[in-house]
Amino acid sequence: MIQSAAKLMADFTIEGPLRSIPLPFLNDLLGEENACIAESVVSQWIIMVVLGVLFFVLGRNLKVKPESKRQVIAEWIVSFFDDSVETSMGQHYRRNYAPYIGALFCFCILSCLMGLFGLRNPTADVSVTGTWGLITFALVLFTKIRTGGVKGYLHSFIEPLPFMLPFNIIGDFANPISQAMRLFGNNLSGMVIGGLIYFALGNLAIAVPAVLSLYFDLFSAVIQSYIFCTLTMSYVAMADMSSD
Amino acid sequence: MGMTLMEADTLQLVNINPSTIIFTLINTLIILLLYRFFLHNPVMKILEERKQKIGSEMKAAEDAQAEAEAVKAEYTQKLQESKEEAAQIVSAAVKRAGERENQIIAEAQQEAADLKKKAEESIELEKKKAINEIKDQISDIVIMASEKVIEKEISKSDNEALINSFIANVGNE
Repeated sequence: MIQSAAKLMADFTIEGPLRSIPLPFLNDLLGEENACIAESVVSQWIIMVVLGVLFFVLGRNLKVKPESKRQVIAEWIVSFFDDSVETSMGQHYRRNYAPYIGALFCFCILSCLMGLFGLRNPTADVSVTGTWGLITFALVLFTKIRTGGVKGYLHSFIEPLPFMLPFNIIGDFANPISQAMRLFGNNLSGMVIGGLIYFALGNLAIAVPAVLSLYFDLFSAVIQSYIFCTLTMSYVAMADMSSD
Repeated sequence: MGMTLMEADTLQLVNINPSTIIFTLINTLIILLLYRFFLHNPVMKILEERKQKIGSEMKAAEDAQAEAEAVKAEYTQKLQESKEEAAQIVSAAVKRAGERENQIIAEAQQEAADLKKKAEESIELEKKKAINEIKDQISDIVIMASEKVIEKEISKSDNEALINSFIANVGNE
């Protein structure tokens, strides 16, 4: 039974239409066997082009008295992130973090939605979500040192009691890792389930995948992107050690 | 050809790929810049401009309203003042007219009284004159008649006494 399932699964594939671009000359530099530009990076480039055009179209030719729906949408998007950052991080983070959160959300949500176009979700690649987790980690570190100084940062590891040291160290790493894994896991599972359903239904794949894709791609994409951005904001906000 | 789920490695599902990390980092940075300079900054600029504009327009509107209210108060005051002034003018005119009326009446009464007095005086004068004339005429007539009637024995003194008593009676009627 298990063997026959495995045999069946041997034909199963979830690869998208895009291919990885091998970069043999980087093998030595990066210490990899198959250095390449991954499929998820190629997807990202498509997203970048789309977002670049979108941002440019939305953001140009704005008027003090709005005349177009386009401008209303643009203002709504920017105000949404601006207000979100101000609400969850405070007034003085607004200026620096609102653009990052906005860009991250746009990037993230499009990355989650690439599956709708039959492409590989960049967010289903742990290297991609891991990178964003890494950025969160760096921002948290930076914020802690900026607000508490190096001394304050080091001291925060033995607070409230010295025996909390190992948990505090774990906590520092666990937050960004769990954040990255949550996004990755959701997208990967959605992608795998979607692929399995297409595979299982074969030529009969008509309405069912669309309904499921509504949940796994659209709903999950919005929710997970929102959660990821909210977590980034709250981790950085919590890292603020200034006592205001 | 065909990568399968069994060969998870080739799908790069869970392995960390350093080049992907570097590319993702670069791409995220580029998207951040795109978002920031194409969308975030222009929108924030326009929102700030709008805020300024609304603020200045509201201030201008408030100023205009305050000014209008000041002007209105001024006009109300002026109107009140002119009403009072008009009332004063009217009452003064009425008072003056009353005074003038009384004066005219008094003058007229005075004049009438004067005229009456003069008339009475002249009447009195005329009356006296007439009485005297009559007295003279009567005395002449009486004398003439007496002379003729009683020419012979009456002395001059008796005659005169008789005449005077007669005349006195005449004047009293």
